[in-house]
Amino acid sequence: MAATLGAQPRQQRTWLRAPKFLLAIPSFVWYVFLFVVPVCLVIVNSFGRKVTGSPGKVDLSSPSLDRYHEVVSGSFASLLKQTMFTSILGTVLCLLISLPVAYLLAFKVGPKAKTAVLALLMVPFFANFLLRTLAWRIVLQPRGFVSNFLQSGHWFTFGQALRSGPIQILDTRTAVQIAIVYNYLPLMIFPLWVALDRVELHLREASKDLGANRIRTFLQVTLPLAGPGIVAGLILVFVPLSGDYVTAALLGGAKGNMIGAEVANQYFKAQDAASGSAIAVSLIISILLVLGVLATCFWFISKLLKANRAVAVVAR
Amino acid sequence: MKKYFSITNALGAWAAVVIAFLFTPILFLVAMSFNEFKSIFKWTGFSTVWWSRMLDNTTLTSSVKVSIEVAVISTLLALVLGTLAGLTLARKPGKWTAGFVGVILLILVTPEIVDGAGQLSWFVRLGGPFREGLLPIVLVHTVFSSAVVTLIVRARVSGLDARLEEAAADLFATPTRAFWQITLPLVMPAVLSGGMLAFTLSLDNVVSTSFVSPAGVTTFPNYVFGLSGGIIRPEVAAMATLFIGATLMAVAIVALVLRRGGQSGSEIAATFTGN
Repeated sequence: MAATLGAQPRQQRTWLRAPKFLLAIPSFVWYVFLFVVPVCLVIVNSFGRKVTGSPGKVDLSSPSLDRYHEVVSGSFASLLKQTMFTSILGTVLCLLISLPVAYLLAFKVGPKAKTAVLALLMVPFFANFLLRTLAWRIVLQPRGFVSNFLQSGHWFTFGQALRSGPIQILDTRTAVQIAIVYNYLPLMIFPLWVALDRVELHLREASKDLGANRIRTFLQVTLPLAGPGIVAGLILVFVPLSGDYVTAALLGGAKGNMIGAEVANQYFKAQDAASGSAIAVSLIISILLVLGVLATCFWFISKLLKANRAVAVVAR
Repeated sequence: MKKYFSITNALGAWAAVVIAFLFTPILFLVAMSFNEFKSIFKWTGFSTVWWSRMLDNTTLTSSVKVSIEVAVISTLLALVLGTLAGLTLARKPGKWTAGFVGVILLILVTPEIVDGAGQLSWFVRLGGPFREGLLPIVLVHTVFSSAVVTLIVRARVSGLDARLEEAAADLFATPTRAFWQITLPLVMPAVLSGGMLAFTLSLDNVVSTSFVSPAGVTTFPNYVFGLSGGIIRPEVAAMATLFIGATLMAVAIVALVLRRGGQSGSEIAATFTGN
């Protein structure tokens, strides 16, 4: 007994001597070295000038905002706008398509069916990103599955208009939009499902008992409670989506380009790391702007829902 | 009376459509690996010839080898870093926690293209070993995946009773022994799912890999990315099928192990997808 009492304070003292976060230090150093420094370098490089002949190097002897002038005045600005539009539309489509599936998983199926559906959804989630994107080229090509299906006899009225020639979906914005929704759909379904799943059943039942119908319960009880999870899902889809250029490069051709591809072009083809950095920073600023607008919208919506709820309570 | 239309049925039908949508391209890719013609874009007939020719394409096989080596090394690194950081976050919280979690969240929401661009500039400045071999690719892969592992491990440890470790200390276990015999086995499910996520994240990575890859070193996805725009032979589809199949097999095995350990299907799905 005495030994235990003696050992205890000594152990505590060893812990006190080392900083609390001792074991997190390797990670911290890792992140500073491989994330913080590189991202800061992108910001610094965006004020520099290209060094001919060595990709990745930037001349910082006379820092200026010239690269940003080029971004704002050149074709990049419209490409950036187009990218934001594609990303917002893609995120909204992902949300609308995912919500019913997540709702079904969270509230409407038993544990066995739930496990089965989740297992099915795991397959595209874990199938290699690049390979499943490339596979869309097979599906969407002229004379491919979608084109032939739309032109087949089942679509009598529709078909006439579409039958003039092979349908060109590949290498257009439409193809990029379809594949983007496809690629980020699993990333949206799972967070939404988890967010809804954590809403307790008895809160929804209480709402029903108090006379709210399905839609009202969803809008005023389920949605606000799942709100933070849904917002997290939106951010985790929107941000990587707007920086994604692989999907656009594989399926968009010349027409479906996204701004990320321009960053890569500047680095590898033009060998201009300064312009590439400026475009990358502009991308981050655009993302933050959109997120800012989104935050304002959510604030407004939650105010609105709360106001409605207050009226309902008073009426009762 | 039987109800033919109900909300549940409608939702179920929608889910079926969504699942069909998600499976369509994958099934097409698998089917095209059995194509007779020399391109995956035109079906002429059934043949397994490309499956046997797959191994003769040495560029293809060596890219797959690079992918697997990078994935294994970066997963191990991410597991060590992430497990230590996750444990520390959960058990020794303090003023430092907010800053550390802040960095992790920034890593999760920074577009990969920004990371990749910065990492390339940084590695060019550093030079030497950072511009050759597998090292640069391994390093950039560990950043995102160790952040994911950290969050998963932290969530698991927060749900554990700290008194279990205290009991071990009361029973004369040294901190090291308590870690190996009590904490680690309890955290194992999180380490296992975190490791699997780290592995697939590494295999999935294209963007930062394409930035930092030294000349002559290519991963499988980046090799295929380089082919796009031209003709892609069915042997690539065959390798892709094998690649996807092996990944799914690994996922299924880890899921089964976790199921044996008493987790429900929902819990496993939530952890696997990083929620």
